[in-house]
Amino acid sequence: MHNVLAANIRKQWIELKRYLPNTISMIITFYAIFLLLFLGIQVVGAPGAAGESTRYLIVSMVLWFLALVAMQGIGWEITTEATRGTLEQLYMSPVPTWRILFARMVGEVLANLVVLFLVMALAMLTARQWLVFDLATLLPLFLLTILGMIGVGFLVAGLALVYKQIQAFLQIAQFIFMAMVAMPVTLSLWLEALPVLRGATMIRRAMTEGVSLLGFTGFEWLLLGLNSVLWLGLGVVVYRAAERRAMNRGLLGQY
Amino acid sequence: MPSIVVEDLRKSYPKRRSGEVVRAVDGVSFEVAEGEVLGLLGPNGAGKTTTIKMICGLIRPDSGRVSVLGIDNRRDRQKALRHISAVLEGNRNLYWRLTVRENMEYFAGNRGRSRRAVKGRIDDLLGSFDLKGKENELVNSLSRGMQQKLAIAVAMLADTEVLLLDEPTLGLDVETAFEVREHLRRIAYAEGKTVLLSSHDMAVVQDVCERTVIINRGRVVVDEQVSNLLRLFQTRAYTITVQGELSDGQERQLRSKFPVLKLDKGAEETVIGVDLAHSEDIYELFKILEQERTPIETIDRSTVHFEEVFRQVVAGDVAAGALERKEVEVNA
Repeated sequence: MHNVLAANIRKQWIELKRYLPNTISMIITFYAIFLLLFLGIQVVGAPGAAGESTRYLIVSMVLWFLALVAMQGIGWEITTEATRGTLEQLYMSPVPTWRILFARMVGEVLANLVVLFLVMALAMLTARQWLVFDLATLLPLFLLTILGMIGVGFLVAGLALVYKQIQAFLQIAQFIFMAMVAMPVTLSLWLEALPVLRGATMIRRAMTEGVSLLGFTGFEWLLLGLNSVLWLGLGVVVYRAAERRAMNRGLLGQY
Repeated sequence: MPSIVVEDLRKSYPKRRSGEVVRAVDGVSFEVAEGEVLGLLGPNGAGKTTTIKMICGLIRPDSGRVSVLGIDNRRDRQKALRHISAVLEGNRNLYWRLTVRENMEYFAGNRGRSRRAVKGRIDDLLGSFDLKGKENELVNSLSRGMQQKLAIAVAMLADTEVLLLDEPTLGLDVETAFEVREHLRRIAYAEGKTVLLSSHDMAVVQDVCERTVIINRGRVVVDEQVSNLLRLFQTRAYTITVQGELSDGQERQLRSKFPVLKLDKGAEETVIGVDLAHSEDIYELFKILEQERTPIETIDRSTVHFEEVFRQVVAGDVAAGALERKEVEVNA
């Protein structure tokens, strides 16, 4: 599996570098969105809470970016690969395709971390607001949250496999993801069942309020772990069902 | 043990708009022996691609069985795939944004092999497919022929016993198609792989394959050695051009001896077209010409091309009955 992972991380990194203008325009777009929202906070926000709101905004933007990369990227990839025909070649590998796609999503997230850090640094410098970087806390938090995001990525991938023409849905999904990462899970118990919300809430607290690894309760970690593992599992199960359906209908090579 | 066994494979699809069910493959069965090169022939829409994709496990059959080296590919698809690599139809097998070498490394990686492990093999393949000078070029910028060679090289890199190729020369110009055919011959005979290729290009099958399975409307209509098939369809038709005209007596004798006779009479020369039942009948013909010491200018024997065989087989599915009749004629 580590060779599959290495090959896919390398592929995503090469493509990110090779299409530098595309990558730069992505950075500019995200920065522009941040500037707009930042300006909004300055104009209409409560003056006393502007700093906190801005930090909240930066973390939410980071999470939104990650959500787009991990949850939606794979949907675009499946659609593109089906159009170009390479999807069937992925299915010719003796390694189960869901594992290749998992490696692809990990590769996509890792390659995009560079972009993520750049946007985050730009945002922090502009706003002169600094987030807390406690790696010991952030590493497990991000890892678990991203696993849950990949689970949703598999759901989207399954949808793309069977229905192909899901571009319109993907565009709308961007805004759904935006709401998901910005909504505090504490609003309602039911929100705990949704993907990503629990992780996003904890990451926000860690980065804006400086809550550390042990600052969160064991129960909170348990909820996060359960949420991520269940969504990842559900994603893989649904993806594999979609895969069977696509094979029964001969859809892998169609678009 | 045969490398590939296809047993009573069936697949129907509902048409996208009308919902009408189309039988793409309707009870196809054949075997490919180890090291054999089999050509799967058929007109467009005959069910070739669906059959190949079912062997790859990319499409699940409604019923029937495919096994690769004894592994049932429905029950254990991933295990079967360790022994199969495929070049699927068209230029849809590669990542256009990656270079030649990156494509090879990526697909090897997806099969669980490290870049270091495949480096030497990649160098060999780039050399044998004349792609060494292009290894750092994006696939995007390669000609269609080079892309096809790379797709075959990527499939070869998997080092599987079985290689499946769907229309490997489709869309290539004559020269490149010839080059690809040469590579396929090399792979088939020098590397000892079991090869199943589908095509509607007769030259590929006549050149590369030992045996052919012809399918039409989702059914196997012929399963025969290419050489046998050519022999069965080989007619003993001769065209003889003689100087001047034949005498009335010669013409009478020819017509009585050879019922299927064509005579193009001219003042300068006469062209005699005759289909001989037995090869020694040609002596009878010469005897008749000798009587008047008629000068013979040319003798041509019409040769049969695989394309003609294929056309005859597919035209109305003459296959089984007609082939049996031909076989009787040959044996007689």
